[in-house]
Amino acid sequence: MSQTEGPGVTPAGGTAIVERPTEDALDDTPWVTIVWDDPVNLMSYVTHVFVTYFHYPKAKAEQLMLKVHHEGKAVVSSGTREAMERDVKAMHEYGLWATLDRADQ
Amino acid sequence: MILQRFKRKGGAIVSALSADEVDLLSSLTEQLIEMVSDGQPDQLGAEPAPAADDDPFARWARELEQTEDESSVPEDPVLQRLFPTAYPKDEEAASDFRRLTERDLRSTKLTEARTVLRRLAETEHGRVPLRIPVAESGAWLRTLTSLRLAVATRLGITDAATAEEVAAVPPDDPRAFMASVYEWLGFAQETMIMAMDR
Repeated sequence: MSQTEGPGVTPAGGTAIVERPTEDALDDTPWVTIVWDDPVNLMSYVTHVFVTYFHYPKAKAEQLMLKVHHEGKAVVSSGTREAMERDVKAMHEYGLWATLDRADQ
Repeated sequence: MILQRFKRKGGAIVSALSADEVDLLSSLTEQLIEMVSDGQPDQLGAEPAPAADDDPFARWARELEQTEDESSVPEDPVLQRLFPTAYPKDEEAASDFRRLTERDLRSTKLTEARTVLRRLAETEHGRVPLRIPVAESGAWLRTLTSLRLAVATRLGITDAATAEEVAAVPPDDPRAFMASVYEWLGFAQETMIMAMDR
């Protein structure tokens, strides 16, 4: 999944870039954004967020939402650590419970 | 409580909220603003200076000002849910992330909550129907989400079982009023999403 690299998905107000040690910059292991199930957010809202922020087609957004709901979590995007930090921050803006991790974890 | 749907009308989302609904939503949003700005520097509680974010030096100065405190997990369970830990397995990365994002997140939530309050005030306590330009619907949905997360946390909703328990509280239960508020917020959000998708 590389949709997060596309145009128009950079969230407004994204300012902070975390400085990484050099060895981290050389490590090209991709990172992932994980959205976790919570008992509060509506299924329609979670789908709406995936469509609005990631520009995923409705069917894919619904599939991801159901994965979160049934499996407790789902990887919703992957890419560089910086890109995933932007995505996690955006998910927090929307009130979703999101974390990031290395793709191989 | 009468449940008023949100409907699409041209370039706006409208709802004829009652005076009670307007007052309730305003009061919850004011509480949210208070909670989110609590313990923050004064400028966060005030109207934001629009140019501040575009000025790298102002931003730099602000980041230098930040105290150690801003990188730690908030004590209030509502704030913990509104600003989750991004790196659950890496405490150092988690506190870096918090230090670099939480101020922005708080400021966005405050700006959007004020947008909601402004539109609610325009209804003159429900005498005029609420009218939300579609461009502001994101701010509304995110604010309603923050309110639902806050109310749910106060109601002790932590999983599917506690959510079901709250949904089934009898009318004489001390949680009954907040439970009905929670249900109302969910209904408002759901119908707003439906109105936007049309």
